[in-house]
Amino acid sequence: MAPFVYLDHNATTPVRPEALEAALPFLRHDYGNPSSIYAFGQSARRAVDGAREQVAALLGAKSSDEVVFTASGSEADVLGIFGAAEQAFIDSNGRKKHVVTSLIEHDAVRLLCRRMQARGFEITRLGVDSSGRVDPAAAAAALRPETSVVAVMHANNETGVLEPIAEIGRLCRERGVLLHVDAVQSAGKIPLDVQELCADMLAISGHKINAPKGVGALYVRRGVKLSPVVTGHQEKDRRGGTENVAFIAALGRSAQAAAEELPEHSARLLGLRSRLEEGVLRLPGAHLSSRGAQRLPNTSHFCFEGVDGHQLVVALDLEGVCASSGPACSAGMAGVSHVLEAMGVDPELASGALRVSTGWGSSDADIGRLLSILPGVLKGLREVPKA
Amino acid sequence: MSRVVVAMSGGVDSCTAAALCVEAGHETIGVTLKLSGALSAGSGCCGTSDLADARKAAEKLGIPHYAMDFSEIFEKTVVEPFIADYLRQRTPNPCVECNRRVKFGALLKLVEAWKADLLATGHYARIVPEETPQGTEYRLLRAEDAGKDQSYFLYRLTQQELVRVLFPIGGMKKEEVRQKARSLDLPAAEKAESMEVCFVPGDDYRVFLRARAGEKAFEPGDIRDMSGRKLGRHKGLASYTVGQRKGLGLGGPKPLYVARLDAGSNTLVVGTEQEVARRSFTVSAVSWTRGPRSGGQAGLKVRVRHRGRLLEASWSRTGEEGLRVDLRDPERAIAPGQSAVFYEGQEVLGGGIIEEAQ
Repeated sequence: MAPFVYLDHNATTPVRPEALEAALPFLRHDYGNPSSIYAFGQSARRAVDGAREQVAALLGAKSSDEVVFTASGSEADVLGIFGAAEQAFIDSNGRKKHVVTSLIEHDAVRLLCRRMQARGFEITRLGVDSSGRVDPAAAAAALRPETSVVAVMHANNETGVLEPIAEIGRLCRERGVLLHVDAVQSAGKIPLDVQELCADMLAISGHKINAPKGVGALYVRRGVKLSPVVTGHQEKDRRGGTENVAFIAALGRSAQAAAEELPEHSARLLGLRSRLEEGVLRLPGAHLSSRGAQRLPNTSHFCFEGVDGHQLVVALDLEGVCASSGPACSAGMAGVSHVLEAMGVDPELASGALRVSTGWGSSDADIGRLLSILPGVLKGLREVPKA
Repeated sequence: MSRVVVAMSGGVDSCTAAALCVEAGHETIGVTLKLSGALSAGSGCCGTSDLADARKAAEKLGIPHYAMDFSEIFEKTVVEPFIADYLRQRTPNPCVECNRRVKFGALLKLVEAWKADLLATGHYARIVPEETPQGTEYRLLRAEDAGKDQSYFLYRLTQQELVRVLFPIGGMKKEEVRQKARSLDLPAAEKAESMEVCFVPGDDYRVFLRARAGEKAFEPGDIRDMSGRKLGRHKGLASYTVGQRKGLGLGGPKPLYVARLDAGSNTLVVGTEQEVARRSFTVSAVSWTRGPRSGGQAGLKVRVRHRGRLLEASWSRTGEEGLRVDLRDPERAIAPGQSAVFYEGQEVLGGGIIEEAQ
């Protein structure tokens, strides 16, 4: 049996033991409702509030009140963008109906904006340069008196490229426009500070930082009013539904661990990334996407000439290595990534994409294993006729 | 233990083939090819409901399963030539091309790249090894179930492919295959037979051609008999195949058949069976399963369409990859573009593309 090597941490991550331990009491016996008055419910309330502190600390929030728990990163994106845009629309009597976003957002945001457009919102989508970066000047030029929200991701899930959020955030603040940041991929991998980024809303996801799937959080700057997506009294009227106490506790614990380990963790991942990229770029017909741009320390995105990325992913899987070609949501059937398209990557080259993303538990041996099998796999796949 | 990739369309045949690979102790990997981009759901090998069935079967069998998009190569090597053939008055055989270019072409290469030893499919045909002084040779034989035999579509397989291909159900009757599928509770066990061209919705290639190639293939013209007498009007030459009898809309005392499609004058020429039947024809792009065979001996047969009769024949070379085939008895449905496949007893010797009847 080939060793199992997991190099797809941008898709999801293993739950770390501390996070599991934090969740278990609330799955086993501590099943109280945090909204209940009696002491049994108060223990759940304490867990949720504690987690709120931990998440606030990871994000640099001034107060834990600024953290709203959701069921996913996607939901946090929807609450941040749609919630703020709809509130502004209502408050301005329908005048503010313009939202600025980018062409390389995750589908959670991309499809939301499409839907908002169908409902009458005006959407401007900012392009990117060949490395996948939004130009802050273009963002400035897109702002109008009717603009309510700008939504740009912090780090791209495919290429790992970092967007100039702080610059965009400063100019949004000057112009009185709210900035929503999808930080699902950057949280826990690089330092995050909502003050420095000038973010008004910022979304993270539990399962990308070693907590379970099914929990996320949205930072909402104090004073920013959101129209709720799920109505109810929980989360100070911002997100209804009884809190997922166990997973929220796990997310809090993961956030705390991530904050503690961040500098070392980041440096270690960068070391793995360098070794990987050095090795891969020695192979013929291999290209590193967003080369030269600032990127996440854990993400490398390659395009291989003459290779079908989907076939490559299966070939690696059969060798026990998990990596991905497109984002996990669109896996199964081919189709060129909208991110690479926006970057102007040649579609044929783009079809030979491979994303390798490391994380908690990744080792030098994992990189070594991938580097040892890749040349043979690529050679075989280049023999497959394309037409 | 060998690593075997099974092409699973989601039908009962390929799912049972996968089950037999698992039972034989192979490390089995299921793969479903997305071939046609145009189809959203439905029948043939490419519909998405079939993908779901293939996945369910793979789950049941406890094997990994992958969906692979082969629509680009399928479009270029199967669909486009299919359209082009009709537009030049030929009757194409897309299954032959798909087997040659896609299933036992690109997919077989992919199987190698995945470091698998063998590719298995749910075809009804058999591959039997035979020891010869030159080493092991793989003979391609007709299926055990003569009513299901698909060897006609597989004649372009050569030793290079045959050594790495398995047809696990080739020795079974259809009913046995269904029994097996039932006993394993495979979701496809009771699925209806699909006989149509997989990328042609509703099994009407004329509708498909119209959508893809426009009206140019369907310019009406005259139907004339062999002496040039006008008998009626036709609906565009692409609607007809040499040897066709049904759908001509002609009355008359004797049944009439399509003799040829004359593109120059846009005329459909028809005649009686006697007038239409031909005794010889030429074949191009010949391929042999076990190397070239001369065609002089007794007992050699040819088939000029899928499920057609086996006709006694002899043949001789006319060039690098060309043959002239002579039949003992005249045959009326020798359609250019169809394959002529040579048999000796149960064995498929090879075949080629029919060019012209004489």
